[in-house]
Amino acid sequence: MTSQETHIFMELAIQQAKLAMGALEVPVGCVIVEDGKVIASGRNRTTETRNATRHAEMEAIDVLLEQWQKNGLSMTEVAKKFSNCSLYVTCEPCIMCASALSNLGIKEVFYGCSNDKFGGCGSILSLHLSDAVSPNKGFKCAGGIMAEEAVLLLRTFYEQGNPNAPKPHRPLAHQTTT
Amino acid sequence: MSNNDLIVHIPDEEPHDLHNQPTVSVFASSIDPKHANQIVRRLNQIAPLENLRHVKRIQKKVLEGGQIQLSVVLCLAYEGGDQLYGVPSHLQELINSYQLSPFITKVCKYEATSKEEWQEQCKFWPTSYHPRTYSIEGITGFSKEDSQSVLKFMQSAVELATSDGLVVNAAVIVDPSAKQIVSTARDLVFAWNPCKDDSCYRKPDLFSAQSISNSLDPEKPLHLSSCNHLKQSYRSVACLYPWQWAEQQSHSQSSYYCHPLRHAAIVAIESSAARDRHLFPNNEGSREKYLELDHESPSTSSPLKRQKTVKDDKLNGHSQTSNHIEDGDKLNIHSQTSDLLSARPYLCTGYDIYLAWEPCTMCAMALVHQRIRRIFYAFPNPKTGALGSVHRLQGEKSLNHHYAVFRVLIPEEALHKCHT
Repeated sequence: MTSQETHIFMELAIQQAKLAMGALEVPVGCVIVEDGKVIASGRNRTTETRNATRHAEMEAIDVLLEQWQKNGLSMTEVAKKFSNCSLYVTCEPCIMCASALSNLGIKEVFYGCSNDKFGGCGSILSLHLSDAVSPNKGFKCAGGIMAEEAVLLLRTFYEQGNPNAPKPHRPLAHQTTT
Repeated sequence: MSNNDLIVHIPDEEPHDLHNQPTVSVFASSIDPKHANQIVRRLNQIAPLENLRHVKRIQKKVLEGGQIQLSVVLCLAYEGGDQLYGVPSHLQELINSYQLSPFITKVCKYEATSKEEWQEQCKFWPTSYHPRTYSIEGITGFSKEDSQSVLKFMQSAVELATSDGLVVNAAVIVDPSAKQIVSTARDLVFAWNPCKDDSCYRKPDLFSAQSISNSLDPEKPLHLSSCNHLKQSYRSVACLYPWQWAEQQSHSQSSYYCHPLRHAAIVAIESSAARDRHLFPNNEGSREKYLELDHESPSTSSPLKRQKTVKDDKLNGHSQTSNHIEDGDKLNIHSQTSDLLSARPYLCTGYDIYLAWEPCTMCAMALVHQRIRRIFYAFPNPKTGALGSVHRLQGEKSLNHHYAVFRVLIPEEALHKCHT
C-alpha cells in the first residue's frame, strides 16, 4: 500500500465525514477497502438513530455483513473476507469500535486524528494489540493520516455547537423551569 | 444472607490487597506535644506532603500509664536504588531547633477506597478516608425495596438468557424510577433479521416491553419458565466468546443472517433507541412542536398516553391519572404532554441494565456511549469482561460518562433450574 493510495482512501473517508456534518451529525466517516477497492462506506448516525453506538465503522460493517450473506457467504467465508479488509476512518476508533473490529478480525486500520477520550487503538486502550488471555489476533494500525483535515471538521462542528444535540441538553432540569 | 448482601458493588479501581497495600517510606520523628502546632505549621510550609494528602501529619499514641506520644511525618524519604538518602538539608534547621531524632517509617501510598482498607492503613500510620460521594444510588447500599427490585430484574435477565434452550447472554434495560422495562434482548449473533426500516421495530418492540413489564408484577415471584437441559455449554454466550461466530456452520438457506456484533446489550440499546424514536417522534425537543403533534395526530399520541398511564398507576397505586386522560380536556392534555416531555430521557440517562454475564469490551463501551446509569450482572466474564475482569471501563477517567457497576450474586444453578 503506497502512501498515495492511503491518502486517496482517507480522502473518501473524509467525504463521508462531511456527509455526516451535512446531516448535523458528529463528522466522522470511514471506508472499508478490499483488494484496493472500496466495498463499503459509513458515517456517524448517532443523532438520527438516537443510538449512540451507530458510529461510522458500525454502519459500514453492517452494510458488508448484509451484502455478503445475501450473496450466500458462510460465516467462515465472511471471517476470511474481513481478514482481508482495511478500514480507513477519519478518527481513531473508539473502544467499542476497536473491540468490534478485533472481534471481526479485520486486517488493518488507518485513522486520521487520535481520540484522546475514547480511543481504543492506543489512546486509552490498545485493543488492536493481541494479548495472551484471548484468542484476539489484533490488527495492524496506523494513525495520523490527514489528521489536520479530520480535526478541522470536528472543530468546526463543535464550535458551531452541536445543533442536533437534544435541546435542551438536559431536558429534565430545563423543562420543569420553563 | 439478606438481599442486600447479594448485590456487590464493583469499584472503579482494582482494590488493593487489603493486607498488602503499597507503602512509601517517610522520615518521621517523635515530638514534644507542646511544639506540635508550631512544627506542623512550619512543615506544611517547607515540606508539604504533595502526593500524600491522605496521610495525617501527626500520629498520636497513648502509651501505658496514659502518657501521650506524638510523632510527625517530616518528609518523603527518597529511595535511590536500595539506598536511602538522608533528611533533606532544608529540614535540618527545624530538626536542630526542636532536637528531633528522625527515623524512617512507612505510610500507605494511596488513599483508602474502602473502610476496610482505611482500617488497615492506620496500622502503619493514620490516614484520612473520605467515602466517595457518588450521585448514583446503591453504592452505599440498597434499601430493602430496591434490592428486591434489583433481584427481580436480574432474575428476569437470567430467565431470558435461558429461555430458548440455547444459553446466551441477555439484557434488560429498566427505567428504575418507574420500575418499568424499557427493552429486552438476547444475543442475536445467529438470528439477525436485517431491517433498516423503522416500522419493523416499533410495534413488536412496544408490545414486548409492555407484556414483559406486566408479567413482572413486583408482588409475584418470577419463575424460570423454561426447562433446560442440565449443564449446557456457554459457547453461545456472545460476550464470553466474541470470536466464536467465525466457526459457526452457516444456515445460508434460512431466513436469518448471522451478525457477529449483535450481542444482547447492543440489541437492547438499539431497541431502546427505537422505543425513544417511537414515543418521541419529534427530534426538535421543543414543547410547541410536541403539542402540535399531540393535537394533530391522535394516533401518535395515544400509545404515549397508554404507556404513561401504566407508569403512573404503578407509581401512585391509583388510577386518577387515567381518568384525567379520558376527560381529554385541553388542560390535562397539556399537563400530560409536559409530563411526557420531562420524561423523555437523553439516550439511556437514568436507566439501568441487567445482564446475565459481565459484558465484553465492545458492549461495556456501548453502554458508556448510551449513558446507562447502573449495570448489574450475575456472572463474571474472566477472559473478555470489561467491568473489572480484563478492563475496568467504569474507572477510565478519560471517558465522558461513568456508570456504577454491581454484581448480583445468583448461583449458577439458576441457569439450569427447572421450575414447573
